Amino acid sequence: GVGELVLLEKLLGLPKGNKYGVQGERQVPVLQTNNGPGLTGLMTIAAHLVKQAKKDQLLGCTAEEKAVVQQWLEYRVTRVGGGSSKEDTRIVLKDLNTHLEDKVYLAGNIFTLADILMYYGLHHVMVDLTVQEKEKYLNVSRWFNHIQHYPGVRQHLSNVVFIKNRLYTNAH
Amino acid sequence: MGFGDLKSAAGLRVLNDFLADRSYIEGYVPSQADIAVFEAIGAPPPADLCHALRWYNHIKSYEKQKASLPGVKKALGKYGPADVEDTTGAAADSKDDDDIDLFGSDEEEESEEAKKLREERLAQYESKKSKKPAVVAKSSLLLDVKPWDDETDMAKLEECVRSIQADGLVWGSSKLVPVGYGIKKLQIQCVVEDDKIGTDMLEERITAFEDYVQSMDVAAFNKI
Repeated sequence: GVGELVLLEKLLGLPKGNKYGVQGERQVPVLQTNNGPGLTGLMTIAAHLVKQAKKDQLLGCTAEEKAVVQQWLEYRVTRVGGGSSKEDTRIVLKDLNTHLEDKVYLAGNIFTLADILMYYGLHHVMVDLTVQEKEKYLNVSRWFNHIQHYPGVRQHLSNVVFIKNRLYTNAH
Repeated sequence: MGFGDLKSAAGLRVLNDFLADRSYIEGYVPSQADIAVFEAIGAPPPADLCHALRWYNHIKSYEKQKASLPGVKKALGKYGPADVEDTTGAAADSKDDDDIDLFGSDEEEESEEAKKLREERLAQYESKKSKKPAVVAKSSLLLDVKPWDDETDMAKLEECVRSIQADGLVWGSSKLVPVGYGIKKLQIQCVVEDDKIGTDMLEERITAFEDYVQSMDVAAFNKI
């Protein structure tokens, strides 16, 4: 939630100083603005920060890319979070693995906010995957390893290790 | 290194396998390495080689910027998986034979020339033979890796050990062996090239995972 937004601010090169709070049982992040009640919601605040940093291309360029970015931001907020069950997580990994089979980034060929927030959201999941699971979700592993090496993204988060020699199967 | 013949199905399969867990030929950004391989392939790979196709389409999107991508184009044999034989060099070696002028001499000096020729060619053959790599000395090791107590996460421990990568080291099968009081040790096999990997180095790197590993011993050491 708020932690990710702070990481995002740094990645975007924004100056510090934004004040965050949380709301309700589900700890929804809130950005306090100078005038008014503030902005609520991870997706909303993240998009706002991107625009503030004048890096709109992170939201997609073509209409199709923008739609795909929104789709994965919505997915992130509704399906990926601290309270997910093992089964929910398994489904998320399966969905992602299928989607990433023919794409380098979530939106296709460009790096977007969708990649950033899905990376932060899934970090705690990827850290705990076994070698076998990382091979099972090979496309997710490839994508995750790529994003964590993208300049400015990983910051203080731990580096998740992906083994080069595949052990379990050669058939994909 | 190299992918073999990238215009053949076999070469494309090697490329496909290589790209299954990589976004790019080298590193994590598009570079001249990708352009070199892209240009060598010529056409999009078939749909059943989904990783190669994914990579191809992605690199195609950088077509306009290809001159400004980082890096320097190297010979194709320099890219790709380390354990594939570099077949691109084969063409260069056979050119040596062309250097000898077979028809230059006239009849009177023929026997002298012929003798010199024969000796030259023998010398070349000998030097080619000696260039063949010597058989690499390897050993099979069985390592015992002991955890701190029965609560240590053995799956994580195994992952840490397997994450140790080095040139000349290949991990094999493993199993958990009970040693008493509920504690299990990880017995894992590996094959090492004697010149490149020493047991000291292995012990150092394994025991570096202080959170999980209490100690490591070599249970068995066999030359192969």
